[in-house]
Amino acid sequence: MNAKFWNQHTETMPRAKLDALHLHRLQALCHYAYERSAFYRRKFDDAKLKPADIRTLEDFKRKLPLTDKSEFIDQQLSNPPYGPTLALPEDLVVHHCETSGTTGKPLGIPYSMYDTLRYGESWVYGMWALGIRPSDSFYFAFGWGNFAGFWSTYWAARRLGCKVISGGGLDTKGHINAIMRLKPTVLISTPTFALRMAAVAAEMGIDMSKSSIRFTYHAGEPGPTALPAMREQIEKAWGAKAGELLGIAEIDAFAPGCPEGDGVHVNEMNVFTWSMDAESGNEVAEGEIGENIITSYVNSAQPLLNYRSHDLVRRRASCACGRTWTKLEGAVLGRTDFMVTVRGTNVYQTAVENLIGEMPEVSNSYELVLTREEDNDAMTVKFEPKKSVPADMWWEISKRLSDKIHQGLHVRLRCEAVAPDTLPRYELKTKRIIDQRPKEFRRALDR
Amino acid sequence: MEERIRKIRQARALLAEAMQGCELPQIEARLRNADMELHWALWNLGEPVPLRPELG
Repeated sequence: MNAKFWNQHTETMPRAKLDALHLHRLQALCHYAYERSAFYRRKFDDAKLKPADIRTLEDFKRKLPLTDKSEFIDQQLSNPPYGPTLALPEDLVVHHCETSGTTGKPLGIPYSMYDTLRYGESWVYGMWALGIRPSDSFYFAFGWGNFAGFWSTYWAARRLGCKVISGGGLDTKGHINAIMRLKPTVLISTPTFALRMAAVAAEMGIDMSKSSIRFTYHAGEPGPTALPAMREQIEKAWGAKAGELLGIAEIDAFAPGCPEGDGVHVNEMNVFTWSMDAESGNEVAEGEIGENIITSYVNSAQPLLNYRSHDLVRRRASCACGRTWTKLEGAVLGRTDFMVTVRGTNVYQTAVENLIGEMPEVSNSYELVLTREEDNDAMTVKFEPKKSVPADMWWEISKRLSDKIHQGLHVRLRCEAVAPDTLPRYELKTKRIIDQRPKEFRRALDR
Repeated sequence: MEERIRKIRQARALLAEAMQGCELPQIEARLRNADMELHWALWNLGEPVPLRPELG
């Protein structure tokens, strides 16, 4: 129980050996996907490529076409629930999750039993490094739904052998009362909800820094490793060590937090990653910022090869913590498509803009204003109605736009009509995002 | 480490034998789960095993 690593053998494996393993596993994965998934067979065929053509890691990065979430969604919509993306018989799918659908339609994620074990265990590396042990007890401060992040945390607790206490269905005060009554030692929540809970507890006269919680562990939005100010706030509010991992619902909880506190490490037993210049498509060198391209070994039901994450990262080959697994310094530094997390929901600039564009009364002059309210990021849509729209209709249009966004993206944004010709005009690229959040709560590239 | 890996491989071979012709669904399921865990152990020792346990 005093071991520093969950698996020192692989977490500190020399790079040459890791790369040899990656090549072997990627070659096997190419054969697997080609033989079992109509989606990948067509991908390979369109590129005039056979799995045997992948002889080096460079071949894999350069020759194999990229994949993107939208392709999978299109395939699934054409033949629900999974279409030709499925690589296993459907009776081997034991769990279904979905992405939140904030880019448009949700992506269905099928898992085999083996996939769920491996996905869950991905969390454990970071939990172990933080100091969490099988004798700890987890409090889950969320509802379950179809979100992979929540379910995979549960799978993680099972893999580690910890007690699980579900707070599903309770409101914030209910969570606080349950924690005080049941005395768990680990809080699992989004980072902002951890802060919210501590604030509500203070209103109730309860100091959560004196509670039984010794660790908080987070995912779902920029947290303690990406935002040092967030770490300080959470650790002070809860009197606990705060950890985080980087995961993507359809891939894996693939990057456990570094105990050094300034980034995450790619779990190189579960995924292979490289960084790409999003403009040129070329690989970028260590230390340069590029889009994280991910291939998962653990999604055997719906393989993901050379998958575009749209996350901008900076890779480092070594770390003071001793892990040889690639470090993503500061976790996610930004997005190729701007995204902000509002009350736990990822909101993409393009998705909001698409919905605004569907409102015939709204002109092309609008801004998305980001602020920080009650420990959460908030977005306000400021828009100019078309000049033909009378002013006494503006309130109704604002409400309809807010409802439309709520229906489409599952998050309620404030929408404010302003008089025509009052928002700034730009000669070159129009500035849509007006970020008024304190700098310490913005991702590095958004500052 | 080599000795541990050798023993895990032996255990998988024994499980395969035990699964052959097993007529009790409960026991067959448990043996399959055990094999899955051993496959995962080999994977996480850096052994070049197939992607899924039933593939080899």
